[in-house]
Amino acid sequence: MKYFKANLFIILILLFLGSTAFAARIEISAPGEQTIPLAMPRLVSMGVGSVQPAVAAEFQQVLQGDLELSGLFDLVNPASFLSDAQKLGLRRTDIDFQQWRILGAETLIKGGYSVSSGQVTVELRLFDVITQRLLTGRRYTGKLADIRKIAHTFADQILLSLTGEKGPFATKIAYISKRTGHKELYLMDVDGHQSKQMTNHRSIVLNPDFSPMRKELIFTSYSKDNPDLYRKEVYTGRESRLSLKQGLNIGGRYSPDGREIAITLSKDKNSEIYLIGTDGTIHKRLTNHYSIDVDPSWSPKGNKIAFVSDRRGNPNVFIVDIRTLEVSRLTYEGKYNVTPAWSPKGDKIAFSRMVDGVFNIFTIREDGTDERQLTFGSGSKEHPRWSPDGRFLIYSVDQSGGDKSIWVMRADGTGAKRISAPRSNDSHPAWSGRW
Amino acid sequence: MTKSTITRLVVMLFALTLLASGCAKKPVAEEPAMMEAPAVEMQQEAPAVVVEESVTEMAPAYDAAAVAKAAELAAAKGLEMIHFDFDQYTLTEAAKATLVSNAGLLRAAPKVNVLIEGHCDERGSDEYNLALGEKRALATKNYLVSLGVSVGQLNVISYGEEMPIDPAHNVDAWAKNRRAAFKVKR
Repeated sequence: MKYFKANLFIILILLFLGSTAFAARIEISAPGEQTIPLAMPRLVSMGVGSVQPAVAAEFQQVLQGDLELSGLFDLVNPASFLSDAQKLGLRRTDIDFQQWRILGAETLIKGGYSVSSGQVTVELRLFDVITQRLLTGRRYTGKLADIRKIAHTFADQILLSLTGEKGPFATKIAYISKRTGHKELYLMDVDGHQSKQMTNHRSIVLNPDFSPMRKELIFTSYSKDNPDLYRKEVYTGRESRLSLKQGLNIGGRYSPDGREIAITLSKDKNSEIYLIGTDGTIHKRLTNHYSIDVDPSWSPKGNKIAFVSDRRGNPNVFIVDIRTLEVSRLTYEGKYNVTPAWSPKGDKIAFSRMVDGVFNIFTIREDGTDERQLTFGSGSKEHPRWSPDGRFLIYSVDQSGGDKSIWVMRADGTGAKRISAPRSNDSHPAWSGRW
Repeated sequence: MTKSTITRLVVMLFALTLLASGCAKKPVAEEPAMMEAPAVEMQQEAPAVVVEESVTEMAPAYDAAAVAKAAELAAAKGLEMIHFDFDQYTLTEAAKATLVSNAGLLRAAPKVNVLIEGHCDERGSDEYNLALGEKRALATKNYLVSLGVSVGQLNVISYGEEMPIDPAHNVDAWAKNRRAAFKVKR
């Protein structure tokens, strides 16, 4: 087992050094055997400015949370660390790798911090313990309040270094919360921290989506007595109505290139899927059926859209080809399949299925094969949305008691973790692109 | 119950008598005539004295406004919500019977504008339910129009599962929440 792990890791490194394209193919979300033993001693004060153990502790907690979620690592118990854990050791020649080998570590994160006049500097290194090589090194500077962001950014870097593809930890989650008594739009970090209220419509705000290009969101609001589509710039707070057709303007989703929005409109007295421009003008009508058509989700190539329709009786997921308008049915099992979300990798479509009044999350391939159930048990799990790298899914859980919260899990359903605060009544998460 | 109504009527009659007698101080003999039918008396008098046209216009116009007002009030208070089966927007027989009564109220009050709100229970996806709620509101509107209600009186909006009247998570609450409700716009 150990031998296998060590060998595997060396293979990983070799692949990475040889060809990043090869390395990117490694299925890092697969649980079990493929975990890499990692030692992560605390940041050491670099001796400049004040010593602030709280900074080191927060950094540790954030980075550890991200790495655990990744499912890639097997963290070496800090209680077993030897003397080298106390030393700064930013250069490979300063490190007693033998100490880390004894503990079974195959990778090692070393780092130091310094704080002066509200500015924090963090030096970080990732080493391969076996070959005693430096895998990646970074120096981050920012305000004290940026320490969480620094940890997330380095977690992304670690994944890039080991797999050839960046992690999604320094991105943002948009979601809807009813904590004020009204459904409003909020933003938070991927680990649920730094939540911030974005709207104050005192009405009903629904179903956000991020622009893949700009720091901008779209969502539906009843603020003007009709479910209209709004756009909001994150930093300026500037807000405008994008689509205000009579009836529904719901479920807006930016195309992968950010130039169009797929949306459900019911201006002709029946819900249909349309493509509109970012100025709100209608470009194309994609469905034409007297049944309910809602919930569009783009394929990553931007040539197809998965959506929900009850045209065969019960709500099921269908796929429409944007060019030919040809519609094919995707889901056949179950009686209520909704909220499709196409993986940015293109290989899978996540959706939720209701059985006996309870939703659970499934994935299926575009050709309708390889259906897998990712979540189980009581409490409805709904609204799956992918991380920009396709490694994770974020979703909402509605416990039978009425407690609504946001959870994140790996693409294979393992590692499920609640990220929203208790009793905050949160739902409808959406994952940003690279932030 | 009936006893108290009767008592109230007697008191009112007595008060009216007092008022009438108070107004007509001098001609004591007129008292019984006033009590009988003052309205009839006025109608009989009016055409004889004044130009016919102005009176016929005055009197019905006054009545129509009162009738319209009463009809509007009746519509505002009397429009009843209807309920639907799970994941359905077809009208049940009970819903149709309610809508027949609602249509009567709305036909009598053609100036009343109504917002038909389509709602769903919490089960199901939010987006699908927004579309379903709209189908419910539209089915309601179409049936009212088929019963002779002016299409201009009726507007629709869907709230999906966003505004339950019963927040509980059980069969009874779900049945109550699957509804089309009427809001009179003033």
